Amino acid sequence: MKFKDYYQTLGLPREASADDIKHAYRRLARKYHPDLNKEADAEARFKELGEAYEVLKDPEKRAAYDDVGKRWQGGADQAPPPGWDSGYEFRGGQADGGGFGEHSDFFEALFGRRGAQAQRRAPPRAQDHHAKVQIDLVDAYRGAQRGIRLQVPTLDAQGHVVLSERTLDVAIPAGVREGQHLRLAGQGAPGFDGAPAGDLYLEIHFRPHPLYRVDGRDVYLELPVAPWEAALGATVDVPLPDGSVQMAVPAGSSQGRKLRLKGKGIPGKTPGDLYVLLQIAMPPPANDAQRQAWAELARQAAFNPRADMGAK
Amino acid sequence: MKQSSLTILQCQVVEEDVPMSLAELCRACDAESELVLQLVEHGVIEPQGAGPQAWVFAGTSLQRTRVALRLLRDLELNLQGAALAVDLLDEIARLQRALQTASGMARQP
Repeated sequence: MKFKDYYQTLGLPREASADDIKHAYRRLARKYHPDLNKEADAEARFKELGEAYEVLKDPEKRAAYDDVGKRWQGGADQAPPPGWDSGYEFRGGQADGGGFGEHSDFFEALFGRRGAQAQRRAPPRAQDHHAKVQIDLVDAYRGAQRGIRLQVPTLDAQGHVVLSERTLDVAIPAGVREGQHLRLAGQGAPGFDGAPAGDLYLEIHFRPHPLYRVDGRDVYLELPVAPWEAALGATVDVPLPDGSVQMAVPAGSSQGRKLRLKGKGIPGKTPGDLYVLLQIAMPPPANDAQRQAWAELARQAAFNPRADMGAK
Repeated sequence: MKQSSLTILQCQVVEEDVPMSLAELCRACDAESELVLQLVEHGVIEPQGAGPQAWVFAGTSLQRTRVALRLLRDLELNLQGAALAVDLLDEIARLQRALQTASGMARQP
């Protein structure tokens, strides 16, 4: 097991005062809170901070930790105290951001699993659970069936809490949008003494797509067009998340022109729109005939795109 | 680990189909009703209906309540601070979407 340097986690020297610890924690907790910081490692950092703070803010735990730290660094072999792996504290929802519910092996070896914050009292009705689910944009167009794996604590024959894996086959409805929640009635924590089971909430997220950006119901696509298609107008194929459609590019279109395909966004009672942003793509280096054609166009057009700037 | 599988489950989209009562919202967020009442008082969530018994919360209240509760718990904020943070987070999300979908930005990772 690796020694965890809680002082380093908080960026503090070992002689830091209780106030220093509080200030450092508050500052870093704001920085790395998973609701405020969308970086991939923010949640892990935040959990480390919470664990470090939980130990260092408590004079007794801090003293015990400092003592272990001295011996650890002195090279002594640190055996976890007996019974360190008994008990287990579980927090519902595999992806529930934040909170101090989960501790490192190091913490649990030092303080036991019950050294964690007080166990929750048993709720009168079974708890609802939360999890996050990633789907593809096309799933929101067509609907999809997804197997979702959840880890749930259950009691074995000896009355020990064990994690079992449960797979739910969920029908993701067409029209679902980023950040929405699906409720699966009765799929949360089991109820005891005849109480109904809790519900399971799945928070929907779209996997990033190389072509499309999504804003609520609306979907955006950058579509390359040739200079002559933009100049003369053209009928072009537009790839949609669930198929393709033909679209008329109006003559005289400029770079970045936004064209709307009504109702081709995410479906629903009020379907979203798909916006096509034209990107004028230059053809690769020309042969002589093509260079001559461009030169002829330049002569004919006598066009100065910088005229508005007063520049030639 | 034990494995088990069930038949295909149908679900509801909370934000579209599921107006919630105070009790349902409290359970979904694992929160005491006093705390949720305070969130209503501070305008974090805005139910329809006269009085807590009759309140109906739009599905979007779920996310705002959960974020507010996490901020209160993890950052030791007061209610006014948490309410402000939830509003600002919504605004940041809106601006980020606008930035992402603005012309010329769509190819950014």
